[in-house]
Amino acid sequence: MTTMDNAGQAHSAQDQALVEYKVDRVVDETSTDTKIVVLARQDGRPDSFPIWVGAAEGHAIKLALDTTVTPRPMSHDLIKSFTEHLGVTVRRVVISDVKNSTYYATVYLENHGVERTVDARPSDAMSLALRTHAPIYITQDVLGRRSTANLDSWLAKLDSKSVNQQEVRES
Amino acid sequence: MITQMHLKGLMFDPYNNAYIVVLRDEDGSEMLPIWVGKTEAGAISMALENVAAPRPMTHDFMKAILDAYDAKVISVVITDLNENTYYAKIHLTYEDSEYTVDARPSDAIALALRANAPVFARESVLNKQSSEELEQWLENLKPEDFGKLDS
Repeated sequence: MTTMDNAGQAHSAQDQALVEYKVDRVVDETSTDTKIVVLARQDGRPDSFPIWVGAAEGHAIKLALDTTVTPRPMSHDLIKSFTEHLGVTVRRVVISDVKNSTYYATVYLENHGVERTVDARPSDAMSLALRTHAPIYITQDVLGRRSTANLDSWLAKLDSKSVNQQEVRES
Repeated sequence: MITQMHLKGLMFDPYNNAYIVVLRDEDGSEMLPIWVGKTEAGAISMALENVAAPRPMTHDFMKAILDAYDAKVISVVITDLNENTYYAKIHLTYEDSEYTVDARPSDAIALALRANAPVFARESVLNKQSSEELEQWLENLKPEDFGKLDS
């Protein structure tokens, strides 16, 4: 596991340890105008991590996950196109913090050996990571601080939905 | 030939359940309506109204990546409008080189507003998409439709 040295110095090295995740699926939350991006551990261990995002943000992730080709470049395709033109590589995306139930992401870029970090919403970070095949990590700190109460109720809901095969339905 | 355009406003089109970005040239003789989706309209509206979101929105993130490497948006050109396919080019400078990147006009305009870059339209686009179409559409619009502009 990598230890980050330039983000959140207040945290211990242990907290900053990264766990690699991948976008597993995008679930419709039909009651509200949101979608749930379910991240699964890259190593296959059963510890999924849901992130609620807006409908448009979820759609952008779903397009990338399904490698859907749109007639015109979508916003994150344009961002990818910018990085390609400038010779910038998206090294990794880290879900690095959570405050008041809002997740924060950091996008690590590199060009000619110059690394830059850019603050982003996790939805934008994941949309770009999927399009550029960059790995997605969650810090141990964020994994430890997520609200399990929310997660349990969500999983229960998801389980009941799964029976009806509705969870993967996409508009 | 290209003409500099100014963002005149955003309107809701209740018939198509979409938004219209209205661009107009300096003296008001040319008008260019561009139909965009709700999300795209939101990205333009936030920049237009100078609304600071608590978290960077997609085009703020886009600009932050360009800023991180000192790449500058020089201009945006609406190059073609077909029935469902709109084309724009974003001109960038980075390390003394110029780059041209293909984009949808909605993304290009949302970025141009954040980068304070001028928006141009090709003459051929203005000729093709005559303002007659917009005027006709405006005539058919009921007064109550205007109330939805701010929603």
